[in-house]
Amino acid sequence: MIGALDSLVLVPMVNWDNLFSDIPGHTVDGLTRGAIYALVALGYTLVYGVMRLINFAHSEVFMVGTWAVLGIYTAIGAAEGDPLWFVIIATLLALIGAMLASAGTALVVERVAYKPLRKKNAPPLIFLITAIGCSLVLLEIFGQVLKVFFGEPFGRKPISIPSLVKTRQLIGPNGALIQTDVVTITNMQVIVFFGAVVMMFALDFFVNRSRLGRGVRAVAQDPETAALMGVNQDRIFMLVFILGGAMAGVAALLYTMQFDGTKFDVGFIIGVKAFTAAVLGGIGNLRGALLGGLLLGVVEVYASTLFDSSWADVTAFILLVLVLMVRPTGILGESLGKARA
Amino acid sequence: MSEKIDSETDTAGDITIEPERGARKQSIIPGVDIVKGLWSRQSKATRLVIRSVAIAAGIALLVYLPFLNILPFAQVRTDLSPEGSSWSAVLFQVVVYMIVAVGLNIVIGLAGLLDLGYIGFYAIGAYSVALFGSPSSPVTEKIANTFNLSTGWAVPFTACIPIAIAFALMFGVLLGAPTLRLRGDYLAIVTLGFGEIIRIVLRNLDITGGSAGIVEIPAPPGPEITNEYGSRVGLFNRLDHEYWYWLALVVLFLLILFARRLEYSRVGRAWLAIREDEDAAGLMGVDALKFKLWAFAIGAALGAMAGALFASHQTAITPNDFQLNLSFLFVAMVVIGGSGNMVGALLGAFMITYLPERFRDLQEWRPFAFGLALVLVMIFRPQGMVPSRRRAAEFADRKHEAEEAATDV
Amino acid sequence: MAALLVGASLAACGTTDDEGGSGGGGGGDDAACAGKIGAMGALSGPNASIVIPSVNGAKLALSQFLEENSDCDIELVPFDSEGDAAKATPLASQIADDADFLGVIGGAFSGETRATKGIFDEAGVTMISQSATATDLTTEDVKKVFHRVVGYDDIQGEAVATYISDTLGATKPFVVDNSEAYGEPLAATVISSLGDAVAGTDKTQVGQTEFSATISKIEAADADAVFYAGYIAEAAPLLKQIRDAGLEIPVVFPDGVYGADFPKAAGSAGEGAIITCPCVPIEDGEFSSDYEAEFGEKPGAYAAEGFDAMTVFLDAIKSGATDRAAVAEFVNSYDEPGLTKQIKFDDKGDISVDNVVIWSYKVEGDVLVPDQEISLS
Repeated sequence: MIGALDSLVLVPMVNWDNLFSDIPGHTVDGLTRGAIYALVALGYTLVYGVMRLINFAHSEVFMVGTWAVLGIYTAIGAAEGDPLWFVIIATLLALIGAMLASAGTALVVERVAYKPLRKKNAPPLIFLITAIGCSLVLLEIFGQVLKVFFGEPFGRKPISIPSLVKTRQLIGPNGALIQTDVVTITNMQVIVFFGAVVMMFALDFFVNRSRLGRGVRAVAQDPETAALMGVNQDRIFMLVFILGGAMAGVAALLYTMQFDGTKFDVGFIIGVKAFTAAVLGGIGNLRGALLGGLLLGVVEVYASTLFDSSWADVTAFILLVLVLMVRPTGILGESLGKARA
Repeated sequence: MSEKIDSETDTAGDITIEPERGARKQSIIPGVDIVKGLWSRQSKATRLVIRSVAIAAGIALLVYLPFLNILPFAQVRTDLSPEGSSWSAVLFQVVVYMIVAVGLNIVIGLAGLLDLGYIGFYAIGAYSVALFGSPSSPVTEKIANTFNLSTGWAVPFTACIPIAIAFALMFGVLLGAPTLRLRGDYLAIVTLGFGEIIRIVLRNLDITGGSAGIVEIPAPPGPEITNEYGSRVGLFNRLDHEYWYWLALVVLFLLILFARRLEYSRVGRAWLAIREDEDAAGLMGVDALKFKLWAFAIGAALGAMAGALFASHQTAITPNDFQLNLSFLFVAMVVIGGSGNMVGALLGAFMITYLPERFRDLQEWRPFAFGLALVLVMIFRPQGMVPSRRRAAEFADRKHEAEEAATDV
Repeated sequence: MAALLVGASLAACGTTDDEGGSGGGGGGDDAACAGKIGAMGALSGPNASIVIPSVNGAKLALSQFLEENSDCDIELVPFDSEGDAAKATPLASQIADDADFLGVIGGAFSGETRATKGIFDEAGVTMISQSATATDLTTEDVKKVFHRVVGYDDIQGEAVATYISDTLGATKPFVVDNSEAYGEPLAATVISSLGDAVAGTDKTQVGQTEFSATISKIEAADADAVFYAGYIAEAAPLLKQIRDAGLEIPVVFPDGVYGADFPKAAGSAGEGAIITCPCVPIEDGEFSSDYEAEFGEKPGAYAAEGFDAMTVFLDAIKSGATDRAAVAEFVNSYDEPGLTKQIKFDDKGDISVDNVVIWSYKVEGDVLVPDQEISLS
């Protein structure tokens, strides 16, 4: 009977050696992974902070950005091995394109789907289902509709995007930028991590320091008073979707740079993870999104090395539940309105 | 049928708390006012007779549905096109999802808890029957080995159902107790996480059959019959889905009665109070956490019953049958029909399960059409197809507020 | 791959089931060569690209057959299960209830095959799967209607192990799977066949794009070869990240990655990757050019197996089989050379191990080039 119970106990194989042999390396991997979660999480957190609305279509806003990158690379004929000046131009163009495409998609979703609901003051659940509907429509536009009209690369197959930056030999071999005995950091990891952090601080600065940002905070804090003070609520909502979408566009570029590919349903898992990250850090809180994203990325990589990747999601969700039990509004709490420098 | 139950709901005023009368002035469907006028002029006895006859006729129609083959009504069948699917099997799946909708409606519609991981309880029900009922599951093999039982030993189907319910209640309380304190949107992500955790754990463990799942799941007991190919099979076999459909229908009816009882009981009123204003309910002495836990656990048990029926009918299940997107579909069923209203939830379950099967001809375009329909229905009928009277009143109120706010700005 | 469900049913037209005996007798004239075959699998949704080529292969077999036998009235009816077992059940019943259906090509994925083979069994509909490779399909919950024209996982797993240890000469191979019903058992067979040589193992998930943890384990184990049991969507980024990490060791994939989509998805990192498949090279043959002429693209995964499965049914109908029992009997005693291998089923419904051929392919540029046949010892 003891034997029977023994095998009923469900502990995955734990391999401490895997984790502790290379903690710095795993941490760098985790931070890189988390940086992209954090950028996508910003979209959830901005919209939630201002409108108390979970924009479940945000994962597809990200997905559209990855296709924009592919489109721009194809249009200007970028390929692996292009000269450095061309790579920089191509990347900048792709950045602008992805930000525009994602922000535009987010804006369309807001105008077409959410605005009519807001006019009717529909309950949050309705927004949720509408968001799921939008998500499906956007997915299918790339997975089905565009394929019927334009053929490949649209459709449901994974598509390769040329890797312009990663394989370049800047300093060390294999795109390594910093190589010490303790840890190897590739130039891609540096670009993804710092790209994400810089964008995040730029956004934080914008929300906390600019005139428009003050409007965003005002609406987040108290929509009615803000309206009385002459803040155009509708414009702030549009702004929030555009900002969140643009951040998803940046994330899309960084993602395609790192993984050299996309797929019509690439947004789903990243969307769920980013939403988890936003809640973990404190949804509605910009710095919470950064913290939540990075933490989630690191925890996932640790779990993948300690057990294996099939347990990473379970670990991440258990972490979320534990955090919420101690701090019911996430690590930093929800405070877009009160965000202080 | 749904129309009839609807009108019944609308007149069951003697047991509900009346919402503001003002909200009933405009009706969404033209002509309803006239019917309502005629209806209110009948005596109580006449109403009772009409209602009983209508319900009996409705039940008779539902029972007869698998054999419906008279044009033009037979157009509803899903097996008309050459690539169609078996009509009675689709009906069974529709009723199973209706049971899901009734259960989830308790959680979302009545108690106002946004549960995005309901698929987890559906999976728990399915796996309870599979793990204990199948002679080839690791659990039964382990038990048989431990206690020296004969090979092929398994828990009979009828005993698996209480096991499924017990597991669901247990997990409902286990997962709900620490998390139901969380506010709406936080609960959504946590439940979503639970749904995923349950699927992943079922997939990763050997004791649950791993990624290959479980085969040889037992069917409900029944007399042996001779099928059209001349072999002796059980009543609940793989070809005659109408028996399954009728069984599910009976379960659905019992659960509807149960849920209605619950809705108009003290528990139901407590849920309502919590949903409307948790703080106020707390001040009035309603133990919010306790009642939320009840809703969560009861909902879980209903989901598990649906899952058990599903698994038994499938005979083989894998963890991939319980993907996250099915959870979203379940929520969509409840919301699209009209959150808080059982008839609405039933209608939602029917439409979301049935329409994609009926319109198989659209093939690859179905997910796109589904997404588009979801958006359009929500934009043009945000209160759902058949909103509950109370929700409709709340909704009219919110809309009114929105209009006032708009003129203010 | 996991399991393809193709329901092909052939029905003798003019012969209803009730009067099967006499109808068969009278069917010598105009009704002899007719019926319907179902093909069940994921024809829409994310997994469709794995299944559609095999259904196209079956369509090609039918159209070529009808050109030569214009008096025949045979129809191939595709049924879209979306790869979802819950949706496959009503479809299987639909096929079973229509006496015109004499057989099914399918199930495409193991989940739906397990859930529907009982239905086909009760109705006596012969199944020939073009891609259901899960070993347990013919060993657990055995249904005699189930056949497949593809080698099952255990055979492929052993071949992979032979290839890794003998051809590659790897002494410290690393084995990764995708935690799915497809990859897990395949990896398990490879691991047990390789025995002590295995340097380490890891698991990934479907939908995963970042494999740094797996790669660090490969590096830590100092592996000299990697086998990944999974699908294209994860195999492509994994391979890229292995190459980006500077690991130039050989990487081997199973048939789940077979197809022209893989080089496209993997880009330049795909160069030199090895793919094993229980399928013979068809890239340059007549089948390939016919397929491309008909469908505008190179034949993808299991296209030739779909062709073979359909051919078995077509031969059955042509031989005069007009009801399900006759088709079943014909299929069970079938022994003809197919496009992919000698098609002869053993009493479990599997292709005899002697006839299964496993080939290795190498990615060169945008195409898979046949490398060598792996000997099955």
